[in-house]
Amino acid sequence: MEKPAPFGYHGCYLRIDVSSGSVDRVPIPESVLRQFLGGSGLGAWLLLEEGNPSADALAPEAPLVFAFSPLVGSPLTTSAKFAVVSKSPLTDRINDSLASSGFAIAGKRCGCDAIVIVGRAAELSALIIDDGCVRLESADALRGAACQVTEAELKARLGADYQIASIGPAGENAVRYATISHDGRHAGRGGSGSVLGSKNIKAIALRGTQRSEWAHPRELTEYSRSLSKRSFGPATAKYRELGTATNLLTFNRLGALPTRNFQSGRFDEAVNISPEEIRTTHNRTRASCVACTIGCEHIYGIGDEPGVRLEYESLFALGSLCGVSNPNAVLRASRLCDDLGIDTISAGGTIAFAMECVERGWLDETWLTFGSGDAMLRAIELVGRREGIGDLLAEGSRRAAGTIGHGSIAFAPQVKGLEIPGYEPRALQTMALGFAVGARGADHNRSGAYEVDFSDKVDRRHVTLDAVRYAIETEDKAALMDSLIICKFLRGIFEDFYTEAADMLHRVSGWDTTADELRETARRIVGIKRQFNLMAGWTVDEDTLPARFLDTPLPSDPTAAISRQQLEALVSEYHRQRGW
Amino acid sequence: MHVELLGLPRERAGVAELELEADTLGQLLMALAVRFPSFSELITADRLKPSFTANLNGDRFISDPRTQLGKGDSVLILSADAGG
Repeated sequence: MEKPAPFGYHGCYLRIDVSSGSVDRVPIPESVLRQFLGGSGLGAWLLLEEGNPSADALAPEAPLVFAFSPLVGSPLTTSAKFAVVSKSPLTDRINDSLASSGFAIAGKRCGCDAIVIVGRAAELSALIIDDGCVRLESADALRGAACQVTEAELKARLGADYQIASIGPAGENAVRYATISHDGRHAGRGGSGSVLGSKNIKAIALRGTQRSEWAHPRELTEYSRSLSKRSFGPATAKYRELGTATNLLTFNRLGALPTRNFQSGRFDEAVNISPEEIRTTHNRTRASCVACTIGCEHIYGIGDEPGVRLEYESLFALGSLCGVSNPNAVLRASRLCDDLGIDTISAGGTIAFAMECVERGWLDETWLTFGSGDAMLRAIELVGRREGIGDLLAEGSRRAAGTIGHGSIAFAPQVKGLEIPGYEPRALQTMALGFAVGARGADHNRSGAYEVDFSDKVDRRHVTLDAVRYAIETEDKAALMDSLIICKFLRGIFEDFYTEAADMLHRVSGWDTTADELRETARRIVGIKRQFNLMAGWTVDEDTLPARFLDTPLPSDPTAAISRQQLEALVSEYHRQRGW
Repeated sequence: MHVELLGLPRERAGVAELELEADTLGQLLMALAVRFPSFSELITADRLKPSFTANLNGDRFISDPRTQLGKGDSVLILSADAGG
């Protein structure tokens, strides 16, 4: 007799081959669920189980995993999240991107803990999963459609109770940093949109009725109420009242705001694009993901145009990084990335890199200059359609540097090919280490090491080996949060995160999990990502930063410098403490 | 000394910067709470709550309420969570 699934799980995943149309419901051993939980952890395990790490990321046989989690569908605030895990076409290393909202709940209600897609459909298609029954429908009429349009049209065709994740033109055109979009949010980094596009899948539409049971429902409800209540407190007030975009002026004041392709840590016109200024001239509304009590989304309107969610990362990447100080240009660029299905960080990073190459006379696109909002918008449009210079920039800054030459790789703003988020590494050096060693490249969601730089634990511009354990701690914590899954914006409300995480998992699954077990689980999840990378060809030389950061002090603050030897020592100590 | 408020602390105080006199960080925080009553929700006794932090002259972050401050110093009060 088949063993029942643990509480909080269905105990299986759907394996869908869109070439043949075959569908398998594959059991997942309870030991695997307990070791990798869900989200990023389970997704990484499935990626290794199903795929060959050395295969091309865009090959039909390369798996694309949608992984849910034990907490999805529970009353725990911020738990409606899913992870998309694949090999990245941008980095050729593992990529795990997370997004939120109803797609996670609907996916789990299809009676599975994950969906693995392989193959390549014969024509551009929508993959429809109706309570576990799978079919493909032509999506040719949606070719070239924006993400939001695709979602609306599929809902109109199939029914409003379907939850839809889709790609935009960028995913169809194999832009290496294309996103998968759901409800205006994106599994954004590393190009999972182009992986879905390589399978000729324009969208996935889900609905379902199958619920997993909770081990201790009354206790779970009580705890969920307590968590929700705490989520209204001061630890989340920043996100609720101002949104992440308020980081802009803070980072600028601290000289850590990447500006003009990391040529400065200060942007003289930062105030023009700050949310503190924009909200005085633009309408602002707030929104939240399904099942979230924080409500971090701040949506700005430009006249009669549709509103735009504005996050710090989009603001820095499309603003200061490209030297653009016109708020409407930044807002429109962010919306254009949403429509095309493009990661704003990689878009801004790659375009800023190209702007510097133009400035140096190494690219002939003389219109593409720092500070020009029109040029930035034009470049994004070209990237999404892979037209003109956009075809080169759609490859990301690392590959573009390889084509441009002149040693431009020294200032291509990337680690392992993934463009660097809005944290100047020379001014935030624990974060510099987090970027260097990140399994998916330079990433602020998998390493929260900036938290350490914003504390009195380290001297952020002159960190020592003491910083390594802090970087490891934040990376482990992120791995656990991304696998349970709960939103990182809750992290400030936990006095002892691992103990509370063990408690919430116990109420859901019934497992007698301890804080120490979850610490071990977190390390295991970090480790399996490294294992994938090793099998994909990773070498220690990849755990570094571009030469610009190691050879040149930050021009706006010459005391902010990190030498090659210093970073190598930090990375070496990181590997030693990891036991690698 | 010069005090700069960023993010939520600025929202609570309603000003971006001001001049205050204090010998220590703890004294400064209490002076801010007196000047701006809604600022008091950011502090516990003479310390900032964990979600907030202070920075001295744009250089090092400080948390000990006994940290000595000088007349020429510039103290920044900001959110500790820098995640985007």
